[in-house]
Amino acid sequence: MPLSAQGESDERSVGAARERSAGRVVLEARGITKRFGTVVANDHIDLTVRAGELHAVLGENGAGKTTLMRILFGELQPDEGEIYLDGQRVRFRSPRDALRHGIGMVHQERKLIPAHTALENIILGHPKTGAILNLREAEREVSALCERYGFRVPLHAKVWQLSEGEKQIVEILKELYHGARILILDEPTSVLSPPEIVKLLESLTRMAKEDLAVIPFITHKLPVVLEHCDRVTILRRGRVVAEMETRHATEQTLAAAMVGREVVLQLERVEVPLGDPIVRVQDLWVRDDRGLFAVQGLSFEIRAGEILGIAGVAGNGQEPLAEALAGLRPVERGTITLDSIDITHAPVLERWRRGLGYIPTERREVGSIPTFSLVDNVLLNYHFEREFSRWGILASGQARELTERILREYSVVAAGPNAPARSLSGGNLQKVILGRVLSRKPRFLIACLPTHGLDVGAAEFVQRKILEAKQSGTAVLLISEDLDEILALSDRIAAIYEGQFTGIVPASEASKELVGELMAGLRRERV
Amino acid sequence: MSSLLVISLAAAAVFAIAALGELLEQRAGILNVGLEGVMLLSGTFGFIAAKTSGSYLQGFTVALLTGALVGLLHGFFSITLGSNQVVNGMAIWILGFGLTTYIGYPYTGPLGLKPFPTVAGLPMFFLVALALAIAIWFLLFKTHLGLKLRSVGENPSVAEASGISVTGLRYLAAILAGMLVGLGGAVYSLVYNPVWNYNYLQGWGFIALALVFFSLWNPFLVVAGAVFFGILWQLSLYPELLFPNVFSRYIWRAMPFVITIVVFIVLSTRWFRLRWGATKPEALGLAYQREN
Amino acid sequence: MRAVIGDYTIRVERRADLRWWHTTLASVLAIVVSLFLVGFAFLRVGADPLEVYSEIVKYAFLSEFGLPQTINRATFVLLAAFALIVPLRAGLWNIGMPGQIYAATLAAFGVAYAFGAKRSVNVQLPGELIIPLMFLAALAAGAVYGAIAGFLRGRFQVNEIVTTMMLNWAMLWIVAHMIREGGPFMGRTAEGEGFTLPTSLRLPQILGVPLTVYIALALAVLLTWFLAKTTLGYRIRTYGESPRAAEYAGIDATRISTLVFALGGLLAGLAGYHYFAAVPGVFKIPKNYADFGDFSFYGLITGLIARNNPIAAIPVAVLFGGVSGGARFMQGKLRLAFGIDYALLGVLMIMMVAFQALAHYSVRVERQAAVPRPQLELERGESRVESPRH
Repeated sequence: MPLSAQGESDERSVGAARERSAGRVVLEARGITKRFGTVVANDHIDLTVRAGELHAVLGENGAGKTTLMRILFGELQPDEGEIYLDGQRVRFRSPRDALRHGIGMVHQERKLIPAHTALENIILGHPKTGAILNLREAEREVSALCERYGFRVPLHAKVWQLSEGEKQIVEILKELYHGARILILDEPTSVLSPPEIVKLLESLTRMAKEDLAVIPFITHKLPVVLEHCDRVTILRRGRVVAEMETRHATEQTLAAAMVGREVVLQLERVEVPLGDPIVRVQDLWVRDDRGLFAVQGLSFEIRAGEILGIAGVAGNGQEPLAEALAGLRPVERGTITLDSIDITHAPVLERWRRGLGYIPTERREVGSIPTFSLVDNVLLNYHFEREFSRWGILASGQARELTERILREYSVVAAGPNAPARSLSGGNLQKVILGRVLSRKPRFLIACLPTHGLDVGAAEFVQRKILEAKQSGTAVLLISEDLDEILALSDRIAAIYEGQFTGIVPASEASKELVGELMAGLRRERV
Repeated sequence: MSSLLVISLAAAAVFAIAALGELLEQRAGILNVGLEGVMLLSGTFGFIAAKTSGSYLQGFTVALLTGALVGLLHGFFSITLGSNQVVNGMAIWILGFGLTTYIGYPYTGPLGLKPFPTVAGLPMFFLVALALAIAIWFLLFKTHLGLKLRSVGENPSVAEASGISVTGLRYLAAILAGMLVGLGGAVYSLVYNPVWNYNYLQGWGFIALALVFFSLWNPFLVVAGAVFFGILWQLSLYPELLFPNVFSRYIWRAMPFVITIVVFIVLSTRWFRLRWGATKPEALGLAYQREN
Repeated sequence: MRAVIGDYTIRVERRADLRWWHTTLASVLAIVVSLFLVGFAFLRVGADPLEVYSEIVKYAFLSEFGLPQTINRATFVLLAAFALIVPLRAGLWNIGMPGQIYAATLAAFGVAYAFGAKRSVNVQLPGELIIPLMFLAALAAGAVYGAIAGFLRGRFQVNEIVTTMMLNWAMLWIVAHMIREGGPFMGRTAEGEGFTLPTSLRLPQILGVPLTVYIALALAVLLTWFLAKTTLGYRIRTYGESPRAAEYAGIDATRISTLVFALGGLLAGLAGYHYFAAVPGVFKIPKNYADFGDFSFYGLITGLIARNNPIAAIPVAVLFGGVSGGARFMQGKLRLAFGIDYALLGVLMIMMVAFQALAHYSVRVERQAAVPRPQLELERGESRVESPRH
């Protein structure tokens, strides 16, 4: 079905389409099986998506969601099983092939070009786009799509200027513009604040009602799923463990089905008597790479044994804040003190010597060097220390011993201290980085997305270690996009929105709803 | 004074045409630091062709063909083999420098054709450079092909996912760029200073390369920068005539190189570096391998 | 890539890891193929390339006159290679060897000049004092001239390739000013040549070769150790692998880039001192001084072929020192046009890049199995991660 918007905004024709297709099976996958070596990633998975309903696929990390998605949009070929579109058997050799059949994919990592405008991204590569660009015509069509599904996005803004939520919408629009009528979304809720999630799911519901099949794949945020989706298929360890209508389900039944046991994953909050303020930040202003103020007048302090959690949707100034504190980004205005010493403009090493510890977001680009051995990677935080550099010569025995100790204490799976960092999994690498930083016994720890992308076991391990650091009197700044993590670990929670705090609340008073609204900028507490 | 301007614009044409070619391929993500080599090869072969045939047309044709071939070669290393583009560029430069020194040596001396005609008193190739700047701007920002080229330079995997042939477009850009850069080299050896000498280009290819960086990948700024450098070079030769006894003529010869560095320093303000980082094609100089 | 011809399948695949023999083989092949290609130049004038090469080898490595020349040229190339290697370990390109070489040479001759060395070749001066001074002045001047490019790169992010190139040209004209048309260093006898160093200021020799040869060999070991074992070496490597990780680790970009270029300039400066103030039979800035600037680019290719390894650079430098000198010798003998060693330089460079790139690919020819084997798919996370520099 061509999805040009002309004439289709007509109420009656939409109504007729809905009538015609109610309950019709749009996409059916039967017995999909995929093996990687001895691992069976998908084991005879059945999935039936009907027109007019919003059907979510749920599952934990490693349940086989990613593999199933990649098969559905043609990036992988199944070992067994068939896919039917409107009752017709189809085989995809590539994502392009799948798109020709009307299957569009919205990835978790953005597939957009930041330097181009939203509109340019949408029309890129479409055969309809003539040799000479006719942006006005394209804009009309895309605007029509926006109106139809209730999307609001500035089409002539460069993509780098957009929020994460807007970027996701641009991707959805791109797929629709290129003729997708089955839309697979990978974790569409992960980059959004709670109110944005609701808005997105409302739009998706509208799309589902109009003969488009929309399949979000979701790990977290069960309550919203219950509220907005009509039907869910739940995967666990590569198999379908349940398929049900959401009106028959509760959050508990979903969670139980996903995990396979009744679980209440709660870290025990550790209460330690708070000590003196270690870090004090006053009226901090920091620019981002584009020269715009990404941090606008932030003030806070963190005391010994306290975790301050920064809750916020990605791109609201968290990165520049962390970088400015770590000395990697100049401070335009304001002061930072560590143990009452002004370090606002201190070089990086002076900060580390005074007790800073920093776990950066980008593990493989900033936190480690993939080609270096683990010993050399540990040295990143030690090369300037007298015990590790005598007369300008590296004390390699010392470094090796320390590395071995970290590997042991953090139960890192690695070939040994001389293994290159690139041979480690994300979780193990993060353990090495964490171990390296914490072994310095920092007075002030900055942890940026410490568990992002880790499996459950590794994530829990990392969180435990952060709590241990807190217990030993470290002041911790925890930056995370996972609201659950923030709520579980922090003593106080600061919500950040467009470079400003919309509120700082003690953990005892913080609810998910309150913090969610604060980080969406819908509400402001006195800071 | 007006003859100074004319000769400056003739020099500007060399910088501008070469830099526009490089700009085109950099927008598609390909970095060739060996402009000097391409210009030497094209300029020398063009010079030999023109000298032996007595025809400018043959000279320029050979130069364009040489440029296309060298562009193809650089493309093959950078696109198909995916090796480090800076090393590839260095190789092209040294190849051009080494090979032309040997092959061109017997042709050392003036071209011996009647001077290349001017248009309304202006050097013709300066007008060509202006036209090229407009054409490249239009191509890059007003056509679908240009959008695709820029996408390939920003994020090849996204471009590929949008149904664009990254390899094909990059080859196209590399070959077109080779031709333009080669043309720039021929404008030097056939028009601006039609006397062959080994390594005659004196680093102009490297200045053109710097010009691309400093233009923020904008064709019009490339031309403006080229005019600036054209005038600068002539002016810095000029004081030699005004103050013949202050320095020896050799010191005056060294001057443009020193001033070029000073200009780079002055241009590299924090404001500029910020803008630079923002406009730089994200995938510049990075090899792209299709995922299977 | 896969091509099927009859029953056979030819597979071209990218290797995940390069072993040392892959790269060594690639380098050897590059050299052999280049020599083969340049052989056509000899063929054109009716000479048998094989014979020419055997004469080159005889001249360069076996003759009484050629061998010391080879050793001296090789030392020059080796030091120029070090000048490339140290900055390249930090991911930065030094192509400013000619400029740095002549900055150092002018400084060395400047010291001699200041002590009145220009008066006569036979003037008796206290060499034990002045020779070390000349040596140190050369190193210092090379380091300072090199450091300019490094500092500008670190502080203002001015592209170091462009800067070093500009500095080369500026220095070449400054040398011209010094030795031509009544310049202060102009020799008394010949026009356009520097003055000859008095015998009392020449670097002593050991076993028939100047001291600098031994210094260069020792430096190969010293640099290897420096880069691998010292804190500074570690910081240089860290910055070279990942400037962002280096910044995180508190390694100052401006300091590192200034330092590596100062070191590179110092090493190039040593090359200049070696060739013009220590090699027997030279002892002056010659008329064709620009040629030696160009010759230092053999150092660039030596460093690249040796893959940034100072010790591996030794045999490569010896080979190039010999072959380039031998080729010049044959060029005269066969009345070839000027620049056969330049042609070799160019061809070598492009072949080196080609073969090092090709080393990443493996070619396998397989007989097609009757039943197609299931292809093993890699998980996305395991696919090859390549991080090309720059």
